[in-house]
Amino acid sequence: MKLMKALFKIFVVLSVVIFTSCNEQLTELNVNPNGVDPAIVNPNLMVPTIITSTMKSYVDFSYQGDVAGVMNYVQKSGWGSGLNKYDWNSERDWSGNYGILRNAKHLYERADEEGMEFQKGLATVIRAFNFAYIADSWGDAPYTAALNAPNGEQEDLFPKFDTQEAIYKGIIEELKEANTILSKPFGAYTGINQGADILYNGSPEKWRKLANTLMLRYYLRLSVKLPAYAKAGIEEIMSNANQFPIFTSNADDATMDFIGSSDSDAWPANTTFDASQSNFTRLQLCAGFRDVLVDYKDPRLDVWFNPVKTQIQVSTDYPEDDIVVDGVRYLRPEYMEANNMVLYNRNTWVDDVNAGKTLVDTAVFVGLPIASTTGDGSGWNLNPNPIQGGPNPHNSALDDIYKNAKGPLLKARLISYAETCFILAEAAQRGWAAGGSQKDWYEKAIKASLDNWGVGSSYSSYITQQVVSYDGTLQQIIVQKWIANWTVAHESWCDWRRTGFPTLTVGPKGLREAMPLRFEYGGTEKARNNDNYLSAIRSLVETPATATDGKDSSWSKFWLLQ
Amino acid sequence: MKKRILKTLFFGLFSLLTVTLYAQINVSGTVKSDAGELLPGVSIVVKGTSTGVITDIDGNFSISVPSAQSVLVFSFVGMQPQEISVNGRSTVNVTMVTSTFGVDEVVVTALGISREKKSLGYSVGEVEGEELTRVAQENVLNSLAGKVSGVQISSTGTAGSSVSMVIRGASSLTSDNQPLFVVDGIPMNNTLNNVTEIGRDNKADYGNAISDISPENIESVSILKGPSAAALYGSRAGNGVVLITTKSGKKSQGLGVSITSNTVVESPYKYIKKHTRFANGQRPFTQENRPNNGLGYYVVPVGDSYWVGPEMDKGMMVYQWPYFNANGEVEATPLVSHPDNFKDFFETGVTSTNGFSLTNASEKVNYRLSYDNMVNKGIIPNSDLNKNSISLNSSFKIVDDLTFTSSFNYTSSGADNRPSTGNRGTNPLQALYDINPHIDINDLKDYWEPGQEGLQQRGPYTLDLQPDGSYEKVDMINNPYFLANEVNNSFKRDRVYGNAKLNWQITPELSLMARYNHDQFHEKRETKIAPSYTGDANGVYGLVNMYRREQNTDFLLAYNKTFNDLSVNASAGGNYMYQYGDNNSVQTKNRGSGLIVPGIYTLSNIAPDNLQYGSGSYQKGIYSAYGLVSLGYRDAVYLDITARNDWSSTLPAENRSYFYPSASLSMLLNNMIDMGDKVSLAKIRGGWAMVGNDTDPYKLMSVMQKQESWGNETQMSTSGTLLLPDLKPEIQTSWEIGADLELFNGRLHLDGTYYQAENENQILSIGLPPSSGYTGKQINAGLISSKGTEFSIGGSPIKNKDLEWNVNFVYSKNRTRIEELSEGFDYIVLWTDAKGGAVTRVGDEIGQIVDAKMVRVNDPGSPYNGWPIIDDEGWDDADGWQTVINEGEPNVIGNFNPDFMLGMQTGLSYKKWNFNASFDWRVGGQFVSQTFRYGESDLHTQRWIDRTVKINNLSGSEMAQYLKDNADKYLLPDGDFYVVVGGPTSDAGGFQHTEDGITLNDGVFMPGVEGYYDDNGKFVMEAEHLGDTGTPLIRYQDFYGWSYTETATFDADYIKLREISVSYQLPSMKSIGIQNASVSLYSRNIILWTKAGIGIDPETAFQSESGAQGSGIQFKQGIERYNVSPWTIPVGVKLNINF
Repeated sequence: MKLMKALFKIFVVLSVVIFTSCNEQLTELNVNPNGVDPAIVNPNLMVPTIITSTMKSYVDFSYQGDVAGVMNYVQKSGWGSGLNKYDWNSERDWSGNYGILRNAKHLYERADEEGMEFQKGLATVIRAFNFAYIADSWGDAPYTAALNAPNGEQEDLFPKFDTQEAIYKGIIEELKEANTILSKPFGAYTGINQGADILYNGSPEKWRKLANTLMLRYYLRLSVKLPAYAKAGIEEIMSNANQFPIFTSNADDATMDFIGSSDSDAWPANTTFDASQSNFTRLQLCAGFRDVLVDYKDPRLDVWFNPVKTQIQVSTDYPEDDIVVDGVRYLRPEYMEANNMVLYNRNTWVDDVNAGKTLVDTAVFVGLPIASTTGDGSGWNLNPNPIQGGPNPHNSALDDIYKNAKGPLLKARLISYAETCFILAEAAQRGWAAGGSQKDWYEKAIKASLDNWGVGSSYSSYITQQVVSYDGTLQQIIVQKWIANWTVAHESWCDWRRTGFPTLTVGPKGLREAMPLRFEYGGTEKARNNDNYLSAIRSLVETPATATDGKDSSWSKFWLLQ
Repeated sequence: MKKRILKTLFFGLFSLLTVTLYAQINVSGTVKSDAGELLPGVSIVVKGTSTGVITDIDGNFSISVPSAQSVLVFSFVGMQPQEISVNGRSTVNVTMVTSTFGVDEVVVTALGISREKKSLGYSVGEVEGEELTRVAQENVLNSLAGKVSGVQISSTGTAGSSVSMVIRGASSLTSDNQPLFVVDGIPMNNTLNNVTEIGRDNKADYGNAISDISPENIESVSILKGPSAAALYGSRAGNGVVLITTKSGKKSQGLGVSITSNTVVESPYKYIKKHTRFANGQRPFTQENRPNNGLGYYVVPVGDSYWVGPEMDKGMMVYQWPYFNANGEVEATPLVSHPDNFKDFFETGVTSTNGFSLTNASEKVNYRLSYDNMVNKGIIPNSDLNKNSISLNSSFKIVDDLTFTSSFNYTSSGADNRPSTGNRGTNPLQALYDINPHIDINDLKDYWEPGQEGLQQRGPYTLDLQPDGSYEKVDMINNPYFLANEVNNSFKRDRVYGNAKLNWQITPELSLMARYNHDQFHEKRETKIAPSYTGDANGVYGLVNMYRREQNTDFLLAYNKTFNDLSVNASAGGNYMYQYGDNNSVQTKNRGSGLIVPGIYTLSNIAPDNLQYGSGSYQKGIYSAYGLVSLGYRDAVYLDITARNDWSSTLPAENRSYFYPSASLSMLLNNMIDMGDKVSLAKIRGGWAMVGNDTDPYKLMSVMQKQESWGNETQMSTSGTLLLPDLKPEIQTSWEIGADLELFNGRLHLDGTYYQAENENQILSIGLPPSSGYTGKQINAGLISSKGTEFSIGGSPIKNKDLEWNVNFVYSKNRTRIEELSEGFDYIVLWTDAKGGAVTRVGDEIGQIVDAKMVRVNDPGSPYNGWPIIDDEGWDDADGWQTVINEGEPNVIGNFNPDFMLGMQTGLSYKKWNFNASFDWRVGGQFVSQTFRYGESDLHTQRWIDRTVKINNLSGSEMAQYLKDNADKYLLPDGDFYVVVGGPTSDAGGFQHTEDGITLNDGVFMPGVEGYYDDNGKFVMEAEHLGDTGTPLIRYQDFYGWSYTETATFDADYIKLREISVSYQLPSMKSIGIQNASVSLYSRNIILWTKAGIGIDPETAFQSESGAQGSGIQFKQGIERYNVSPWTIPVGVKLNINF
């Protein structure tokens, strides 16, 4: 009996010992060895993440995204109904932007814990830009309640939407905060890893300038809706150059070079890593952009686009209806007449298309007119070999530099000194104190842009042309800004919505008889945050082009445009 | 310390031994079969003891029994066991009776405990090894198809791909729902997802590791379908358990050698249906009406994906690939079709399986050694698969009461090339199916450009031929032969598994088993892609090394005793499981600068900037304690109670421990009341069980992952999925009831089961609105319920000495429904594609397929109510055909699960001839074919040409009237199937249409109405689009409803002849040492009928893509994309010789 009791005691003690050690062992087994604990991550490891993801998505959409078609820069010869015909009647998702914002938030918090103010300031600028992009594109959106899912309450999981106005005002305050955080000299910061800062090599001064320059951009965005607020904001910046330093030369531009080691770090739609070249060849010049650049004898046209491979001419020199001699294709006028063909004319082409005529363009640089065909655009201008997404010898391709994975001119551009000058030219044109005259800023802007594209030497001949030489109109400023913002189409779209310039022709074969004004909310947000979505869309105002879409249409007006 | 405890324990256990001495009596005799043959290898055991012998080659035996009243138990595979009392005799001759369905059948149940089937309160499916090998399959799972109710087998692709086995429907939304496989007590690692992608769009399925088991080694398979059966296996048994018992040397008498040789030849005979009428191009141009390039001939743009170019076989002369004649000049040639392209590409597949086994048994030792070799050459050129396995099962009686058993298996399997099954990339089938028939596939066999071997493939391209004769080669497409031969996804997997077991029969009643199980494999996957593949032009090299290990240490103390009418079986045991796995990979970046020197496939041939690499590992451990009590009363009532507690490393410490019990009852009515001798079994049974389940490792706290570097800069990102640190275990509660009936001495049997299961606290990832900063959140909620029925009925309508005919039907039906999720979440997305996807809402059945909706007039007061709304250009007003699918308000168009499945097996034996066949019928369910969606949007199929509406000889206003008169068909069709009037040519109904200056008869329109809603919501008609003047026409080419998934959604019903075989037992050849030999001829997997009729096997409706659930590549169920192999008729021959 005694033995039994002893045995039992031993058993109990052993069990407890074994169980406790097993329990610890099990806990250890579940420690993940495959990544970094977010609570201790070095903030510098997240700096490149938020910069490259922001720059890549912005340039991709502004170079070959649908907005580049709407703004008449380019058209596609296939798979381009969104770009060519503003078939925007489908949702656009913002999860990419909120994903960047999630990382920016974590970077901000970690930098704050570590006392790394430079990274904190940088994270704030990137955050402000992404929220502005969301407000620019969709309108009302979750801002104050966004990014809080880890807190776990229902209102964190399903964030309410803030008004577009509140977002703009909020990010301007955030940019002011960044201006303060970044106001110290380089040596006063700790933990800067210069290499990690892909944009400015760890310069707090440059980030500070970017914060203030972006502030100019967003004040201007509000210039029609909240003129007094915008005026006060811009004038505050321009009258306190020391407190609010802004871009002063092209060297300040927020641009990112590409690495070019694989598709994911290379210029979009390059042919270095895409052997089929299809993504490159489908992107071609648009007539709207061509018309202006040719009128202005713009030296940048040749930098960005190639002339047609085979020019078309109307001629009676040859007996054949349609013949190529020495690299030129000749059409006889009576042959054109008989086949209902008519020369492209920027003023009448819409009527011609509506009358069922086939357009022919005989210029050296040719662009497909926007929304001019029910087909995919590949048959445009009598293309002898129409291929979906294929090349067209009678339409201008992009310049060969865009085939490369990287290059001195292949930069992702967030905002430039040229744009800064155009902003100030417009502010001055509106009669605000912009630190200079409108003509001055206008000319500085053009010079800066020509310099950027390596054609600065043409400046004096360019600026003296009658169409270029400043005439005091807003239209001229915005048209030049539109040209300078090639590959920054999203910003041109925002300018066009505000000013109506450049004057864009609405193609007859587009989805609606108007250009789209905003993005429809994404399906996932719509479905998963339905209550908040439904209350947010109430503030949208329908237009005739909204058609059967309902309020959440790409043709509805959000607050900024109402 | 440890030693002392052991000693004490052993002492204690020994002291329990009661040693009794009996006088020994010798009994001998002969055992024959009911057919009169002498039976070797029959096992004879003295009832209640472990003493036993087996009959020798002539059926003779001799055994010592303790008393004259001893009872001998005779058992033999396929025969009804018999208990015969010695009654003082010294000679006992026995005739064994063949059991058809075996009332007294013994089955292996949880923890390897053998039980009489009649005593079980739950449904267990069994398949004998013989049935698995009658017809050779690369993967043993394929052999189980259709044979067991409640089990659905489907393969994810071509031979050698993963095979999915789902028991009683998918109950988990996040896992692959694969059951636990246990081979001789060894849990085997098996997952469905075995896809690796190295190189852009090069997804290869390397097949599941369960295929390492050689079917020839399998003695029997028990499938524990419900939790009642599987409760003792715990966490991993939620999806059922497949218990595989391998052959041992136990039953042999002396040395036995057996040889099998099996060869099957597969010839493709049916391909997906594509038209052979139009060449590449956007419109059916003619010699007169074509883009005028001033050259006199049309250039066929082979790189253009559309197949509505000029009509072939009409004598039209064109410039077509390869464009140049022998003198290097561009030359026009007649446009003709090559209808046999698909047939010409495929080869004859051959699979050869050869093996031998050696068995031996004596009183003390028995063993079985076997070797198998499988070599497969696929129907896609340059695809193969091979496997070599050795296994040794042995048992050694150390002393009378102590037996040591061990099993050792080594399998080496691999392939030089597993063809990619993905899409848009290296899949040779996609490349093949996308080549227009104006090209002769045989012209592509030489797949290198002359002079550029190893550097540039000779793929068809479009000659961008300018009017002045200058040209550029553009839009090259991949040559399918290049993809088949120069994209090589090889793998090599070395797997070792086995166990060592000590069994101590302490007393006749009490035994103790201790065992160590081990399963590990190392797999190397290697990809080599030659330069000039369009997706990754600079060549690819990549290596993935995987290692997996699972160790289980367990013990079981078992007590069996019969007290008068009551039999008691009680067991208690414990187990520690440990899993470890790691992966590492090094490869060229996707669409990167490739290899430095083309064709040299080494890691050092990758420039540092172009390297992509990664590694990861995981561990998991579970401690378990369990017990089982089984009571039997008078052979009439059996009650089983089990309980188990697990402690899992994957759960937080406070929720780590979870307990779950089960109970089941079996009542044999025929042993309770006299039912006459017609009824040999009438059983009702019922079971209730809980099963707990943990999760994968590291699901409590997320860590930050490194993304691809930007130059030299490291990029870290936070996870977009929120994890839950206080996860609780999932609990599945289920019950089942059933009945089994056997009549007329086993000539007819019926059984049926009804079950319900509720799965609570499911650990699943649920979608968050992106603005929350996260895409998903792990939750621990919800309730998913399943219910289903299983039936089987079978019998032997004819049975006499020479002739026997057996037939057996199995039926299964399962429904799984989401009852609850979590507050604020009312649906779950399994995958999305186009505007649709698999989205299940709370209250709906899992597997719903949803789609976009067409915009239709919604105004009941309008005469146009329900008509499609068309814009002024002739498009559906939502254009591009799309209105939104709102995830939350899905438009359900189908479900990927079947309504029910029916299997039928039949066997006919006449003297030495044997005929067997097995059929499988699936009813209900749908699948989405992206192969068709992509192919048809480019107008590749005859089905699409036939689907447009041809209305002849009607003028505009007559046509409008006709459409209105038939509004049900043309304006208000069922569902959202839109109508297109017209076609590619005038004889197909096309209207005259001019575009880009060229007039052809390829105009079409969509009938509907143009208009808008006024402020009161009333529909205001602006124009009717009914073919009358003013109806805008669009090119036939532009009129595919790209965003509608429904257009490419098909019924998944099919009938398959899974297996058919004829075998002949060769006459006895004992003079040359052959005991018996048989030869058989067979075929398998012949698709007899599909409802869809599109040449696609609905069973392969799996697509390897990133799904909505979890990260990385997964199999999306219910959708396929270029996962389409031709249908084949295999013919196989099998030879079996036993020495």
